[in-house]
Amino acid sequence: MFEVVIGLEVHVQLNTKTKLFCSCPTSFNHTQNSNTCPTCLALPGALPVLNREVLHKATMFGTAIDATINRTSFFDRKSYFYPDSPSAYQITQLYTPVVEHGKLEIDFDDGTQKTIRINRAHIEADAGKNIHEGDISKVDLNRAGTPLLEIVSEPDMRNEDEVVRYLKKLHSIVRYLDISDANMQEGSFRVDVNVSIRPKGDEKLYTRVEIKNINSFRFIQQAIEVEVERQIDAWEDGVYEQEIFQETRLFDQLKQETRSMRGKEEAADYRYFPEPDLLKAVIDDEMFDSASDIPELPDAKRERFISEYGMSAYNASVITANLEMAKYFEKMIDEGASAKNSVTWLSVELQGRLKNSLTLETSPVDAATLGTLVKRIDDKTISGKAAKDVLDYLMQNDSDVDSVIDKLGLKQVSDTGAIEKMVDEILDANPDKVQQYRAGKEKLLGFFVGQVMKASKGSANPQAVNEVIKSKLA
Amino acid sequence: MQVDNTLLSKLEKLSYLKVSEDKRDEIITQLDEMIAFVNNLSQLDTDGISDNFSMTDKSTTLRQDVPKCNPQISDDILAHAPNTDEHFFIVPKIIE
Repeated sequence: MFEVVIGLEVHVQLNTKTKLFCSCPTSFNHTQNSNTCPTCLALPGALPVLNREVLHKATMFGTAIDATINRTSFFDRKSYFYPDSPSAYQITQLYTPVVEHGKLEIDFDDGTQKTIRINRAHIEADAGKNIHEGDISKVDLNRAGTPLLEIVSEPDMRNEDEVVRYLKKLHSIVRYLDISDANMQEGSFRVDVNVSIRPKGDEKLYTRVEIKNINSFRFIQQAIEVEVERQIDAWEDGVYEQEIFQETRLFDQLKQETRSMRGKEEAADYRYFPEPDLLKAVIDDEMFDSASDIPELPDAKRERFISEYGMSAYNASVITANLEMAKYFEKMIDEGASAKNSVTWLSVELQGRLKNSLTLETSPVDAATLGTLVKRIDDKTISGKAAKDVLDYLMQNDSDVDSVIDKLGLKQVSDTGAIEKMVDEILDANPDKVQQYRAGKEKLLGFFVGQVMKASKGSANPQAVNEVIKSKLA
Repeated sequence: MQVDNTLLSKLEKLSYLKVSEDKRDEIITQLDEMIAFVNNLSQLDTDGISDNFSMTDKSTTLRQDVPKCNPQISDDILAHAPNTDEHFFIVPKIIE
């Protein structure tokens, strides 16, 4: 039996307005090479000046994962030649990173948790982009010099499920802190996976293989599966030593295999040394204090939702798993909606209606509106069934809840006089069934209620109808 | 450290540069001289001195996160580049 050992490196693009070492904007979708200057194009004589906000955001992250924050950290130079880096080196933090020895709790469905240790988080500059076309490559350096936080876990994960839970937790923390857009498709949350295997019970770490640039949770799962299979096959065939060596591989999602990126004889030699163009980076008291004061994190919010609103652990996890959902929920509560109905109407009814790439942020029904709708259910102005019609209408039309209730004539009748009149009519029209009910066929109650509801076109308050019928037939 | 043909080949690989046959001996001699020059520094006793030692106790200057961009600069730089197209830098193809 084998045990799988997995560690992750996640590159998170920090959402600062400017690059790491120059004032060029970091915004997307600009003309190629327009967000560049002598510093990020590495012209001779141009010097890097560290962006204060980057240090601040890195410190916030360190606080969130309960890590050691190095109030003094250093930059190092990693040399490599590739057209996406005009300086032919990357400025990073190898020897003394800003954040070390943190941890993160991953949650399982049964409510248990597991601690994944985080070795370090260091600041580094991103590279540009290359577009390969026939005999040439086009180079766009708009992204060159964008600040990254590389978050390196310890090899504490044992299967794909733990990996995905770790990534989802990390993603939500980064979003709660608002230090990154963390969009996997746009490349602001990039994952490299380090995988090795070992006989169960063995404490030694064997050869790890790095799989680079996998851009969805699903592909990460698949990549790990096929790579583990490759390593186990090699072991069982007695060719582990020959076939498995420390290297970088790419995942091919079509062929469902990992492939070597470069031969082992060409192992890279980065020739790291302390960056001579930058002095030590110091986090002063003011920055340290303000960066220690971080927003409520997903775990704390979940616990609060459970204790404050009596939510089930499952519901609390669903609502707090992503920041947009949690914010939406809290706005509904601010609007005066009950927590219980808000959970259902947000996570089931609204989510179920968000189609064609609509998200909570682009939803035609905003949190205040859905909160008002839930309030009308709470105070029995309308029934749950009628509320679905209102929501359907609001998904298509720009209006407000109360106008739609009036327009669709959905106001629930709780007025006992009106309900009694309808009940009398139904009972008079069905004397045979009244007789059977009185003779003991009590499940006919449902039939009477249904008839009254139908007569009221769904507007009667079902609870009131129930009570009136029961008292009349008693 | 002695620079020889093997080390020169490794440097060629790392730097993506090709040194022609008739230049190799000359380059090897020059690299040897450079290393000998820099080697003077190893006479210094650095025991007990931190890797992060600096001549100044100052920390690096921090810049406010305020964007500034002068499009003229990138236009000028591109105009001086050996090969460009539609505001891209053009380089020989870099994947096999």
